Amino acid sequence: MTFKKSRASSEPLRPAESTPQFEATFLEHWPRVVALLQRLVGDGDEAEDLALDTFMRLYQRKPSDGNELNVGGWLHRVAMNLGLNAIRGWKRRQRYELESGKNELFEKHPAAPPELFAAEEQRRCVRLILSQMELRQAQILILRSSGQSYREIAAALGVSVTSIGTLLNRAEVEFEKRYRAAYPEGG
Amino acid sequence: MHLDDGQIRAYFDGEPGDLTLDEIRQHLAACPECRARLEQVRQRAARVSQRLSFFAPPVGEPSPASRLAAKPALAQFTHRLNQNKEYPMSQKIFRARTAWAGLVVILLLVIALSIPSGFAWAGQFLGLFRVQQVAVIPIDPTGLMALKGDSGLGQQIGQLISKSITFDQKPGKPYMVASAAEASKAAGFSVRLPTSETGAPQLAVQPGASFKFVVDRARAQALLDESGHQDLVLPQSLDNESIAVTVPTAVTASFGACPALNEDTTSQFGSKGRRYADCVILAQIPSPTVNTPPDVDVQKLAQIGLQFTGMSASQAQAFAQSVDWTSSLVIPLPKNAATYDQVPVDGVTGYLIQRPVDDAPEFALVWVKNGTIYTVGGLGADSARAIAIANSLK
Repeated sequence: MTFKKSRASSEPLRPAESTPQFEATFLEHWPRVVALLQRLVGDGDEAEDLALDTFMRLYQRKPSDGNELNVGGWLHRVAMNLGLNAIRGWKRRQRYELESGKNELFEKHPAAPPELFAAEEQRRCVRLILSQMELRQAQILILRSSGQSYREIAAALGVSVTSIGTLLNRAEVEFEKRYRAAYPEGG
Repeated sequence: MHLDDGQIRAYFDGEPGDLTLDEIRQHLAACPECRARLEQVRQRAARVSQRLSFFAPPVGEPSPASRLAAKPALAQFTHRLNQNKEYPMSQKIFRARTAWAGLVVILLLVIALSIPSGFAWAGQFLGLFRVQQVAVIPIDPTGLMALKGDSGLGQQIGQLISKSITFDQKPGKPYMVASAAEASKAAGFSVRLPTSETGAPQLAVQPGASFKFVVDRARAQALLDESGHQDLVLPQSLDNESIAVTVPTAVTASFGACPALNEDTTSQFGSKGRRYADCVILAQIPSPTVNTPPDVDVQKLAQIGLQFTGMSASQAQAFAQSVDWTSSLVIPLPKNAATYDQVPVDGVTGYLIQRPVDDAPEFALVWVKNGTIYTVGGLGADSARAIAIANSLK
């Protein structure tokens, strides 16, 4: 079936099976990547999709892209990027998302106090703000809020550890500015 | 000389900056201005931290996301990997938007399988293939998997095919049209639309293409040999045989929220299943035609092709004989990638191909009526909608 090969030639060819080394990497990093994405996009199914996509990118990465890859940091960076992209995509379906999100919450917890809805809406607002910020600023805020040390953040973002304080502070100033614009009364 | 906000921020976290904690402490003790700024930075950090507090990993209780544990996730990943990398053609079939490209690929299979044996009448195209029905051949992709591991060989084969093809008419880009009448005019055939759908469809026209394929028998055989199939011998007579393919203009009608016309969905994974879950695309295209020299031993070449995918000689022979290769749209379907059923639609027998993956089901309904190939494809599991579309075409 020569045509099959002609299709293959238009795409980079890869081994049909993932290698044991890749599998080990996957098993080691999956829980943290999917958990990060779950918190970022707030939806378990979408988080899993995005996490699979993240690992697909790792799998498709050319070996020449760098030998000394900090896999964990790389995965977190790509996952955040994909997650923030997904959030930007929400805008287009904002009404649908808002309605379905609220209904889902209501279905699960019909007796939930209004504060819960308010908290969910606030999280949604935070996510939208992050998605509109400069990528590195959003990333640094997410990583720091996820409990990562300056050293871990520096490794993931490929910047020097002594610059994290400055970058983090700037990101916080920017976040606060945008948050105040969204919630003028102080939210 | 004062501390900058970055130094203060790092100090507040007890993290390393370009000054030691002691140095900062000493400065703060002597500088009320910096102490005031420390307080500002501290308060802002606390507010932001509170708003982003949902990013903190839960302590003890597992997060909802971890319900998909790493091992099943790896299985799912491997499955997707194989779906995407091993069966690009079956994916093409599912993507009705680019169905015509899939058809060309299928036709290339027909060509590859129909290279003539026996004597050659170069330059004459007396055998004319026209698709009249659909046939599905379940193939075992293990033979192909071995091949994919060898990128050098895959590339050589791709080069051979691309060198062998000359386009008389290159396929143009698809474009939107406003009405069925306009689509019919552009495509040159009468476009049919279903009455089962309430919303108005987005109509697009995919211009056709025509090309010639000249066989370089020696190189093709060398590649067969290299792939470990020395047992498969291409007839000498097919060297320099020319095969002409014409793919007519196709029309697609999209119902529901579908990807934009030239949106590249191939690089996206998974979530498109939800994004476009209610998108169904009907495609219609008159049968492409394939002109080959006469006296082609199609069955023999089909058998070679099937053996190449990993079938035994006897299995391949049985399958090759069961299909009328000159009039069938042959869809090779990897066994573990999708299921298929024969279904009566539009007054004929069609095939409903389904990829019943939990997270990203896909389906394609394919049938041929009066020389026109129809497909209804969608992401999601609602294949009943496809059948309703097929049965209500006017």
